[in-house]
Amino acid sequence: MSRVERDAREATGSGGGHGGSGGPGETGFARRVAAAFAMGLREYARTPVLLALLVFLPAYFVGLLVYLLPESSVPIEAAGAETVVVQSAELYGILLVPLTSALVGGIAGLFLMLNARDADGRLVVAGYRPSQLLLARVGLLAVAAGVAVGVSLVVLSVEVVPERLGWFVAASVLAGLTYGLFGALAGLALSRLAGVYFLLFAPMVDVFFFQNPMVSDAHWLAACLPGRFVTEAAVDAGFSASVSLEPLGWAVAYLVGVGVVTGVAYYRSMRLG
Amino acid sequence: MPESASGANEAGGPSGARAPTSGTAESRLRRLRVGVGSHVRAFVRTPLNVALLVIFPVVVVEGYGAAMAAFPRFPGLAVESMAEMGRVNGAVYAAAFLAGILGLFQSIGAVQADERLRVCGYDRAELFASRLAAVGLGAALVAAVSTAVLQWRVEPAAPMAAFGALTLAALLYGLVGMLVGAVLPRALEGSLVLVFLVDFDDFLSSGLVDVDSPALKLLPLHYPHDLFRAAVFDGAVATSDALAGTAYLAALFVAALAVYVGVTGQGGVLS
Repeated sequence: MSRVERDAREATGSGGGHGGSGGPGETGFARRVAAAFAMGLREYARTPVLLALLVFLPAYFVGLLVYLLPESSVPIEAAGAETVVVQSAELYGILLVPLTSALVGGIAGLFLMLNARDADGRLVVAGYRPSQLLLARVGLLAVAAGVAVGVSLVVLSVEVVPERLGWFVAASVLAGLTYGLFGALAGLALSRLAGVYFLLFAPMVDVFFFQNPMVSDAHWLAACLPGRFVTEAAVDAGFSASVSLEPLGWAVAYLVGVGVVTGVAYYRSMRLG
Repeated sequence: MPESASGANEAGGPSGARAPTSGTAESRLRRLRVGVGSHVRAFVRTPLNVALLVIFPVVVVEGYGAAMAAFPRFPGLAVESMAEMGRVNGAVYAAAFLAGILGLFQSIGAVQADERLRVCGYDRAELFASRLAAVGLGAALVAAVSTAVLQWRVEPAAPMAAFGALTLAALLYGLVGMLVGAVLPRALEGSLVLVFLVDFDDFLSSGLVDVDSPALKLLPLHYPHDLFRAAVFDGAVATSDALAGTAYLAALFVAALAVYVGVTGQGGVLS
């Protein structure tokens, strides 16, 4: 019996029958989520090319863009409409971290859902609840987004270090998670080709253009997009010594909203098989 | 990609099996036609794919226009409005990234199927040509749709030159996609590479930021962007950019062919 199978059996209970017998209550719930999460992590670890890309692509993207951008000053709005003048390399460097996280999170979410749906259906038959699997998948998305943010920040630190690092990391990981859930939703609703089209275009236009702090009078659509609050929080944490918690709060609320919609779609797909 | 694999299998069915190993020009042409036909049929069999090729350029061109409308005017940019600049950049982006993803998925999963077709009598050049022709048709389609969408809001001064520049952008990224798909034949990993490549290239080549680095000329979209802006705003064909872009296309073609030949001789794995 392989380690993965052993973990799955332990998590779902010895028999693996419908409904499961592996420890009722909160402990059983957490154990199953942890087992599914660990299996997903092993899946990542078995794909060294993917791990290498998760490290290399953000490093190349942030490093090269920040290196190539011209030295010019631009006025931006941060920290509740306070105007500050920053170097364009600093501005785009700060924007690139949540963007990279969103790109990686979105694509990872799409393929996670496309690849795992059949296996998840079998795990549900074996006793897992869809909520346990979904939580494990969200955990994996957080890992992918966290890796992308960590690598981007290390490279970015050559040019600029965000003023409030902790809040900046939180905002950037939230960007990855929010787009990760949109990716998962796309994996449930769209084909692979359509999903990749969507996730190639949306984060770039959303974070880089619609939410760009150089814009003072943004298009009405910008307020509805997933990058709205996470970018505001990231720019705030990047350029202000004091961070307003309001955009972060809205970003978490947006994430919960997308999570609920994705959860409903996921439950439905599990029920329909 | 299931579509590609099924398409290849279809081409490699009974008719493929009967194909002689060393055919006349006529039989080569027939096999090429069968190959291209099967790839196109496999794609068209999913109507959503075709709909996306038409809908996405509209979304991207208008999305870029709306996103950039509120930007402050960048110094040195001689355009009527930032929305116009956004639509122009959106058209190049749409053509490049749609064709890139087409090329990627045309390659992924197809190489091993093509190995079986080789056993049935197709040679590597025919197989590569049929894949390339299918990507080329997709590239021409997205370039045409992107030009039409642009024409609706921003009338190019030289529409045919604009279409040519978009076709060049689409063909370049179609080949980049095929190359990535052959070197890294996995959907998640290949998509990640392509996502970062296209976004990075499009932003730096768009002329929005005044980057002074010779490294920019190495980016696939550098010449198509210059050509396209000249065609739309000045009604001119920038001959030197056209020649450089064509040379870039030829170099990418040779690289993609070499990699394809490498992988079809190695069980679908680049040695």
